[in-house]
Amino acid sequence: MTGRTSTDIERMVITAARLIQNDAVLMVGTQWPIVAALLAKALHAPDSVICHEGGVVMGKLPERVPLFTVDPTLHSCSVLLGGSFDTLGAVLHAGRADMALLAAASIDRFGNINTTCFGDYGSPRVRLGGSGGGCDLGSLAEKTIIIMEHERRRFPEKVDFITTPGFLEGGGTREEAGLRPGTGPFAVVTTMGLFGFDEQGEMILLRFNPGFSIEDIRENVQWDLRVADDVSALESPTEEELEMLRKRIDPQGMYLRGGRMLDGRDLET
Amino acid sequence: MAHQNKLMSMSEAVKEYVKDGSALYMGGFTQLQPYAAAHEIIRQKTEDLTLSTCVGLTLADQMIGAGVVKNLITAFVWNPVPLKAHCFSRSVIQGIPRTIGLEEYSVLALNLAFYAGAMGLPYVAAKTLLGTGFDSEKNPGGAKNRLRFEHSPFTGERVCLVPPIRHDLGIVQVQRCDAFGNAQAWGIMGETKYGLLSCDKIIICAEEIVETETIMRDPNRTLIPSFRVNAVVKEPWGAHPSSVAGFYDMDWRYYAYYGTKTSTEKDFEQYLDKWVLNVSGREQYLRLLGDRRVRSLIPEPFISEPVDYGRLTRHFPEDNDR
Repeated sequence: MTGRTSTDIERMVITAARLIQNDAVLMVGTQWPIVAALLAKALHAPDSVICHEGGVVMGKLPERVPLFTVDPTLHSCSVLLGGSFDTLGAVLHAGRADMALLAAASIDRFGNINTTCFGDYGSPRVRLGGSGGGCDLGSLAEKTIIIMEHERRRFPEKVDFITTPGFLEGGGTREEAGLRPGTGPFAVVTTMGLFGFDEQGEMILLRFNPGFSIEDIRENVQWDLRVADDVSALESPTEEELEMLRKRIDPQGMYLRGGRMLDGRDLET
Repeated sequence: MAHQNKLMSMSEAVKEYVKDGSALYMGGFTQLQPYAAAHEIIRQKTEDLTLSTCVGLTLADQMIGAGVVKNLITAFVWNPVPLKAHCFSRSVIQGIPRTIGLEEYSVLALNLAFYAGAMGLPYVAAKTLLGTGFDSEKNPGGAKNRLRFEHSPFTGERVCLVPPIRHDLGIVQVQRCDAFGNAQAWGIMGETKYGLLSCDKIIICAEEIVETETIMRDPNRTLIPSFRVNAVVKEPWGAHPSSVAGFYDMDWRYYAYYGTKTSTEKDFEQYLDKWVLNVSGREQYLRLLGDRRVRSLIPEPFISEPVDYGRLTRHFPEDNDR
């Protein structure tokens, strides 16, 4: 991995990081969002404020990449360590979060996220972890960015269970449910491309990873995906972005090379 | 209650206060989770608990697998590696070892439910969970819970009414506590403060037992005062594999090991035998972990400056001159 060649994972993280503006107050969820937010903060968004659900307001880049939003490395790089009311309450519920970043097990045509179960809730085929703070982030932040590896099975037309609301059934249904106007999914960033949402709340392909064709991407969602008229290839990651991501943010490859995904068999040796 | 020495062993505390059928809150937001207490509860075969834990992780998972949980109140049960929470999955999908009653919330909603419980509020109105599978009005086939969805009498907007949740007993691991139960904790706290305050009785498990003078030199750091606490257990490393700020890191490899060793019912039984049932307490558990592994989890010191609260003995400044 040298030069300008980047993996789809790196491109996904870099694309998401580019969507983060300087000065933005961010509610950052676990997994990919951590890496994307740290990369943005290290590059073009040094004044962005990274908040996590357990009561963390970060002060500087941590000394190791947090493996999740409650990683104890956050105990030595934060300006506030409190409780969930300090972030989920007084930042997010109060309407002071500009952006939420979330990972998702699956997402549908209207940006609804499922991290609860596949199949019927009462008798599921597969049980997942549940909301955590995900529902709160997607309900209350002004803009929500979802970052996830792209697989067809993760893109159903309608999710089995709405853990985190997107635009529900489209039209004005999000607002009718009581969610605040002007909130909701803003972008979905995957290993295949960048998606936005049209005025009806339907997901639309904006940019594609040049490693894939538009047809590849359409085949990897389970509905008739809309494509923006001005769709084009994503701009390549820059040397600076790749270098920062590989050498400063995640040098051990915990995310970029799956280093955190231990099988645990070697504890006893 | 405030000035009674409440020090006791983990087995005494669990025997005295964890009753069959209790509503039990277990605190800690990934750090400070009372795993040693969970293991003792499993060893004493307490029955039919309603377990309440905001992020259940592998603590809730093994209590479910061991069959001591009848109902679960939570926002999240997963192995953070990330790996499946196998016992939780087996219970929900196959009813193994038993079917549990499941009451799910988001992290914020559960914080609000504990807050309402702690403060004696009839409910709290919030702008989360609306339109989701938790919203029984919009999705009747979704999750079963006690939430209500109404319109605000003030603004007319649709809101989620979160019920108060109270508990018979709460347990948490902290950094330090005196013998009376004045407990201090620091680091990421999540829902723990109001979770504990929503409990009628409280067991504190502490890394260190300190003098009350130490507590009174930094009272802003107190999580819970002694008059609310019923038992104090000195239990170093009682939160492993979760972390305690300033004492030990999260043991990521152990979580992975737990995931691997619990993927089938038979594997889980072997795990439980080795790490819980055939273990007398935390000391023996730590011997199983091995001294080298234990020492490797201790962080470098990152010590804060002392703060000055100011000590005043007279009412008027001129009195100081006499």
